Amino acid sequence: MPKEQNEVRDLQEGNYVLIDDVPCKITAYSTSKPGKHGSAKARVEGTGVFDGQKRNFTQPVDQKVWVPIVERKQGQVVSISGDDMQVMDLDTYDTITMRIPEDLDPSPDDDIEYLEWEGQRKVV
Amino acid sequence: MGDFPGARAALDDAAYAVVGAPLDVSTTFRPGARFGPDRIRRFARPFDEYDQRTGRHFSDLACDSGDVSPWGDIPDYLDFLTGQLSDHHDDGRLPLLLGGEHTVTVAGLRAADPDVYVCLDAHLDLYEAYAGDEYAHATVTSHALDIADEAILLGARTGSEDEWDRAAEADVTVVPPEDVGGWTPDFDGDAYLSVDIDAADPGFAPGTGTPEPFGLEPREMRDVVRAVAPQSVGFDIVEVNDRDDGQAASLAGKLLQTFVFAHAEATLD
Repeated sequence: MPKEQNEVRDLQEGNYVLIDDVPCKITAYSTSKPGKHGSAKARVEGTGVFDGQKRNFTQPVDQKVWVPIVERKQGQVVSISGDDMQVMDLDTYDTITMRIPEDLDPSPDDDIEYLEWEGQRKVV
Repeated sequence: MGDFPGARAALDDAAYAVVGAPLDVSTTFRPGARFGPDRIRRFARPFDEYDQRTGRHFSDLACDSGDVSPWGDIPDYLDFLTGQLSDHHDDGRLPLLLGGEHTVTVAGLRAADPDVYVCLDAHLDLYEAYAGDEYAHATVTSHALDIADEAILLGARTGSEDEWDRAAEADVTVVPPEDVGGWTPDFDGDAYLSVDIDAADPGFAPGTGTPEPFGLEPREMRDVVRAVAPQSVGFDIVEVNDRDDGQAASLAGKLLQTFVFAHAEATLD
């Protein structure tokens, strides 16, 4: 799966990170200050990009973590059928079927943006 | 990880997590609250982990997540501590916060977000700022009222003129020591229960930063903890230090156990 390794200290709010192997967007980041014993730790709180679930971890700042490479793509709605829509990727011209999000009322020819990672997609 | 006696439940199974917060920055009289968490763990050693009253075992209920070591920047520390406590809440564990000075309660409150702040304390702690410090230990009730809708201060018996004026407003209830024995909870919503060990008479709990005579008896404090625990979403014991032979820490450890058993009995199967 597309991902790269980073250190916890390099993360910040708004970044993506894998928590429990799930791609999450970081919503809170705070660090402790090191004393004589132990190293500085960071607490990272994130929300699943595709499932919306809150997750968190606390790790030393020099711990390695995986950052998912989530792609932001442009698409055009081709057709609607029931709860699904056909969307054409405007880079590759591939056509994919996506579930229509509850807060979206698409029509053919609408341009949309969506996030994609490991076959999971989310309209933004 | 810490080692509160009997707190042996696995993290994922535990309904309660001991979290030490040995902050000792703004203490005004006798310092030593930094030794509070270790001291409470140490003097809880003689306690049985079985509670005959409820038939429950402490070791089935609680784990010890160790201490969150503080540093000098109090707001920054409170942010980090709030996060650590929030993680326990999110995972379905009720954190049992061990101070440290009373200021750590601010993090406990932020993580638990209660409707009512219930506190056993000799002091009103209603300063807006003490000695120029808005996060001094004497300001905690002011911070609590930024989060909760009302504050109930049990055993409070001293404060400045400005604090008593503030305490006369509708969102603060002061129950003086002599009335705590007959007090029963009468509020709606979720409570956060904070136990400042100096609510006890200094004869029972000398090891604390700002001792104040004419205080509560241990049994009165136990009864309050038992009565408020069922409605509580957060709990702490603060202001225990090492300036005695363990009386303050022993009482604190027992009140922590008391809270866990009473809360478990009311909320768990």
